[in-house]
Amino acid sequence: MQNENFSPEDSIRVIQAMIEKTKFTVADNSYYFLLWGWLVFIGCIGQFVLKVLVQYPYHYLIWNITFIGIIFSIYHGVKGRGQKKAKTYVSESLDNLWIAIVVSYILFDFAFVRFGWEGCYTFYMMLYALGCFVTGRVLKFYPLIWGAIGSWCLALISTFTPIDYNILLCGLAILISYIIPGHLLKRQYRKLDMHV
Amino acid sequence: MFKDLDPILHSQLRLAIISLLIGVKEAEFNYLKEKTNATAGNLSVQISKLKEAGYIEVVKQYKDNYPQTICRITPKGRKAFEEYVEDLQTYLNSRK
Repeated sequence: MQNENFSPEDSIRVIQAMIEKTKFTVADNSYYFLLWGWLVFIGCIGQFVLKVLVQYPYHYLIWNITFIGIIFSIYHGVKGRGQKKAKTYVSESLDNLWIAIVVSYILFDFAFVRFGWEGCYTFYMMLYALGCFVTGRVLKFYPLIWGAIGSWCLALISTFTPIDYNILLCGLAILISYIIPGHLLKRQYRKLDMHV
Repeated sequence: MFKDLDPILHSQLRLAIISLLIGVKEAEFNYLKEKTNATAGNLSVQISKLKEAGYIEVVKQYKDNYPQTICRITPKGRKAFEEYVEDLQTYLNSRK
C-alpha cells in the first residue's frame, strides 16, 4: 500500500472494483424463491389433482405443506442472520417489501375465510407479481421482471376462466415468477461469487 | 494535484475500505478482509486510521460468543469520500 505509486487512475479503479463487489452482496435471494416456489407449485398441482381428478372433499389439506415452508424459512432466517457479514440498504428494503407481502398474504387468507375462496388465486398471483417485479427492478434481474409481468397476465386471465383451472394458472404463475427466476438467480450468484 | 487529494483516503486499502462502506449500511471486519484481500493486521491498522480521522465508526461486540467488529461510514467520511471523488474528477478533466 505505497501511496507514492498510487495514481488518481488507480483510485478510480479501486473505487469501481469495490463498488462492483458490494453489488453481489445483495444477490443471493434465491433460497426463499425456490423454497416457496416449489412448495406452492406442488400445492397447486396437488390440489388440482385431489379436487378435479380424484374429487377428494378435503383437497385443501394439501396446503398444510406451507408449514414446511414456514419452518424452513424461520430456520434459514435465523441461521442467515449470524452469517451475514454486511447489511446493505437494498437487502434491507427488499426484506421490508417481503415482510409486507407476507402480512398481506395472511390478511388475504383471513378475508377469504370470511368472504369465500373463489377469487383467491387471482389475488395470490397479483401478490407474486408485485414482489417479483419490485425485487427484479431493484436487483436489475430481468427473469423476475418478466415472471412478474407473466403473473399479472395470468391473474387477468384467471378472471375469465373456471375457478378450478385457476389453481393450474396459479401453479404456472409460481413457475414463471419464482421457480425459473429463482434457479437463474442462484446460478448467477454462484457465477458472480467465484469472481468476487 | 496530488496535494489536493485527501491523504487519509489517498491510500489503496483505506480507499477500498471506504468505497466498500459507502455501498453498504454496515460491514463486518471479515467482509472487508474478504473483499479487499488484505491481511488482518494491515486492515486493522488502516481501519484505526480511518476511525481516528472520524471517517468510520467501529463497534466491537460479541455474537454467539465470538468477537465481532462492525464498521460503518460516518457522515464526515461520506462527505470526505464525495470530495475525494470530486477532486479526482477535476484532476482527470484537467488532463483532457
